[in-house]
Amino acid sequence: MQEATFLILTALADGTQHGYGIITEVRQISGGRVKLRAGTLYTALDRLRADGLIGVDREEIVEGRLRRYYRLTPDGTAVLAEEAARLHANATAALRRLNPGLAGGAA
Amino acid sequence: MSEQVISSEQARLERGYRRILACYPRSFRRDNEGEILAVLLDTAEPGQVRVGLAEAWDLIRGGVRMRLWPAMPRPRAVRAAVTLMLAGAAAELAALLTVIATLGSVRAAVAARDTAAAHALLVHQVAVMVGAPVAVGLWLWLAWAIGRGEDWARLVSVACFLLMSLSVIGVLAQDAVAFAPASMIAAAVVWILGLSSVALIFTPAAGRYYRLRAVQQ
Repeated sequence: MQEATFLILTALADGTQHGYGIITEVRQISGGRVKLRAGTLYTALDRLRADGLIGVDREEIVEGRLRRYYRLTPDGTAVLAEEAARLHANATAALRRLNPGLAGGAA
Repeated sequence: MSEQVISSEQARLERGYRRILACYPRSFRRDNEGEILAVLLDTAEPGQVRVGLAEAWDLIRGGVRMRLWPAMPRPRAVRAAVTLMLAGAAAELAALLTVIATLGSVRAAVAARDTAAAHALLVHQVAVMVGAPVAVGLWLWLAWAIGRGEDWARLVSVACFLLMSLSVIGVLAQDAVAFAPASMIAAAVVWILGLSSVALIFTPAAGRYYRLRAVQQ
């Protein structure tokens, strides 16, 4: 899974977000490192919707413009949990090898 | 700065974004253009009147990608067939590179005065150098069309597979001795890739996908 995709799913993990909300959430989650652009965001949202990982929660009109809120589907939650566990296991293994003294410590 | 100036700047920026969004598929624009415009205007710098190079590139890339490879739920059989067809293209490319890397072997055979072997090798090498680039193109083109759900691509795939089978049989019948074990194995691998991808795109699940796509288009 690409990092942008992972971060978009993460941004939706604890509630619904609209497009601009996802961009600000992703920036915050990544500590300011990942600044999603609109083209990247909407190509990813289009693909995630086709794959059934996210869905449209509701639509609002704000200042004459459509605002669409997205949410994770059960499939999306499962895929994100699986990917997070995989990354976590890899990161733990890397840290354990880098710091053998800390093995079994504050993991 | 007066309200009026701000709104005319915003209108100019919005026109710029709309022009670039034209590279997205019509159906996607109908459903999403207003929403993307709102996000683009929300993320624009204050006082910005022109679309930046980086954001223009990002938008165009997304549009081209969406046109070439539209996001849609593809059955597992179709995804597997596309992967096998890409593997077919890779195998043909590997055959081509091998032949280019071993061009010297003909000269070596000539130097060893083994003209029969040199002749057989030369014929094989010319065939691969001409045929492989065409085959790579065909595999890639068919993988693309099969993934997009084009029903005609299934018939073209069968036709290509039959032609490939005939040429393999023809070559084997003619001069089996001339072939190195490596090129026999390569031909077998490519043939099996072709057989499996044709089998996959005619499974019932794949058939439903192609009928659904025919209705959508």
